[in-house]
Amino acid sequence: MTYFVGRAFKLPVFRSGYNSPRQIMSHRASNAALLATAVFVLSVPLEAQWLNYPTKGTPRNADGKANLTAPAPRRPDGKPDMSGVWMGVTKYMINIAADLKDGVPFQPWAAAEYKRRRDTESKDDPSARCLPLSLPLKQTITSPFKLIDIPQKEEMVMLYEGARHREIFMDGRPLPKNPEPSWYGYSVGRWEGDDLVIESNGFNGQGWLDINGHPTSDALHVVERYHRKDFGHMSLDITIDDAKAYTKPWTVHEEPRLLPDTELLEAVCENNLDLEHMVGK
Amino acid sequence: MKTRFALTLITFALLAGARLLTHHSFAAEFDGNKRVTLKGTVTKVDWRNPHIYVYLNVKDDKGGATEWACEGGPPNVLLREGWGRDSVKEGDEVTIEGAIAKDGSKRCNSRTVNLADGRKVFAGSSEDNATGGGKQ
Repeated sequence: MTYFVGRAFKLPVFRSGYNSPRQIMSHRASNAALLATAVFVLSVPLEAQWLNYPTKGTPRNADGKANLTAPAPRRPDGKPDMSGVWMGVTKYMINIAADLKDGVPFQPWAAAEYKRRRDTESKDDPSARCLPLSLPLKQTITSPFKLIDIPQKEEMVMLYEGARHREIFMDGRPLPKNPEPSWYGYSVGRWEGDDLVIESNGFNGQGWLDINGHPTSDALHVVERYHRKDFGHMSLDITIDDAKAYTKPWTVHEEPRLLPDTELLEAVCENNLDLEHMVGK
Repeated sequence: MKTRFALTLITFALLAGARLLTHHSFAAEFDGNKRVTLKGTVTKVDWRNPHIYVYLNVKDDKGGATEWACEGGPPNVLLREGWGRDSVKEGDEVTIEGAIAKDGSKRCNSRTVNLADGRKVFAGSSEDNATGGGKQ
């Protein structure tokens, strides 16, 4: 099968060519099915095979599109099933504190470092060097993350484009007391009613909270509270608790949305031509 | 009528916001106030992460030519927009409008890429994600 590429549509072009009369008869007999398939294919935007593949279990409207306001799915134990491919919000990827009314409670060094990063147009952003985005930027960036809930293993997994992942242990273990510093930290989760609460520590202090450059330290402790409002919408409160960088914990809110009928794609940062040209001001 | 126009603008703004992804700060590398319109022949399309690049040969009035490299979005963002690695090919005549690099190199961040027949391709630019808004 080859593909014709068009704006928002990629249509399959079926090759003709048969090896026997039986194949021709079989082909004629399946004309109706083929036509029906073609009509279906033409009716929805298609790209790579798994970029627009219908996800099983997705509630649908009469037109076949995902019903994003249907009730949130439930696990066998009655808890919400948070699984799905989710996308953050651009505004908070750029500035996680965009809607913070009282201002960010910087420690003096953090305020100075944030000012330096803004004054140099974020030219030292780790992600511009193909380093990891760290948390919670991974949850706010407009690149999808896939949450997979595995209740029988008492674990959840978050997969990210860029071939990185994060494990959230739901088996009651505590956060590590003296963890090896890392970009993504260590995460444990629990249920509070229908809310999924994830706590993480063990960060290396190199991560930025957003593209603007709100800094972190190795004392960073992140609390994420997820609430699946319906099939296609999530509420997420993120609390930044980092006594070395901020004078008190502060919480921001965002609303990730479900991307229906799609999967993650590979994104290896292999051809970074920007670095030598990033002059800042 | 005004309401409809406003709704249309909001819709476009939402659609633009939905497709964005940045790998680096736009303003660290490009000057949004220095625009360029380049008309030339595509010599190579580099469809790789973290950004695609369209290389084009731009002829001047004196018979000379300059090679430009214009950055586009990440492949995954463009794929989700419906574009593919064959949407623009070597030999295509294109017109690219964008912002030029601050360091004076022959690089641009493409905001629009138009083919000779008028079709727009690779809509979307990291410029839409330029940092600086909402400074704390």
